[in-house]
Amino acid sequence: MSGEMLSDLAPFAVRADLDEAWRRAWDHLARPGTWWTGAERLAMVAACREAPECALCRQRAAALSPFAVDGTHDSTSTLPDDVVEAIHRIRTDSGRLTEAWLRETVASGLSEPRYVEIVGVVSIATALDTLAKGLGLPRPALARPGAREPARHRPGGAARGPVPGEPSRYRPAGARRGLAWLPILEPEDIADGDPNPYGDKTPDLVANIHRGMSLVPAEVAAFFDLDDAIYLPQFALKDFATEYRAISHAQMELLAARVSMINRCRY
Amino acid sequence: MLLRESGRHYGESYSLDGISGDGDGGVPHGRPLLDFAEAVLEGADAAIAPARRALVAAVGEAGFVDAAGVVASFNAVVRIADATGIPVEPFKLAQTVEERAALGIDDWH
Repeated sequence: MSGEMLSDLAPFAVRADLDEAWRRAWDHLARPGTWWTGAERLAMVAACREAPECALCRQRAAALSPFAVDGTHDSTSTLPDDVVEAIHRIRTDSGRLTEAWLRETVASGLSEPRYVEIVGVVSIATALDTLAKGLGLPRPALARPGAREPARHRPGGAARGPVPGEPSRYRPAGARRGLAWLPILEPEDIADGDPNPYGDKTPDLVANIHRGMSLVPAEVAAFFDLDDAIYLPQFALKDFATEYRAISHAQMELLAARVSMINRCRY
Repeated sequence: MLLRESGRHYGESYSLDGISGDGDGGVPHGRPLLDFAEAVLEGADAAIAPARRALVAAVGEAGFVDAAGVVASFNAVVRIADATGIPVEPFKLAQTVEERAALGIDDWH
């Protein structure tokens, strides 16, 4: 189907591994997740796309404290308000999120694993849409719920629709509280039958950034499957003797540091 | 931290001015790379096109695609770190004391 691959959209050469990672990431977003359906997950992607234009989010971004400004988000989403609130805050001002806010969000009825899956969807959607924006390509369109759209002539290809099915609702039994704001599944606590969030990484290569979403292993695996292609696989990060991309390690790290600085990311 | 480590490998000393947005970090083609990243994250669509052209002229089309990937990666991965409250690993904190102070990162929270 036209538009499923990045190379369908790009007027320049795209690495085959990047092309495949793009397709897998979009497929992942559209499929039933661990706690949300495919339709709900694509609705999160749509809400994520609306967030940068949201007036409330802009007011909060300009405020000394983002928690000092109340209001209603600019949103056409059918998702519950607390989900839209979480998506907009994560997408537009994640550097000023606090554990107190997370606790309040979870206490309002959004469970911890459901929240973690939102983080996963927002992160993957942000990566894909930022990549498209950087490359000057149209973002893939999302099918409106219930709509029948031919969409063959959309600039981003045929509209992405959800894959039917139910979420697995699988919570790893070994996840423990302590390291972060949310329970973490350490490599040594992965039980037989648990999905492994860390793939083929040996425990010494598992960093805290991998642990962050490990309460929902599928989101860790999906994000870093994409990240290995748009950035570097873990084993290549410090292999300075080999250049794996058309820009050098130093050039990539300069970009990484500047982007993290703009986002005010402490990690 | 990785920027400093790669500098050691290449026998170069990269500066923090690119990270704070003022210089080019002493990295080859640093300025067009940074202009591109800033345009994608902060600029209007009209600002991205010239930054894109300048980057392609500097690092070629394949380099441009890879640079767009890195910007996309770190614009996303920061949200995982921030939204889950993971701590920075102690060894990373210990190795980046000077950089964090110089960039004011520890003052953010």
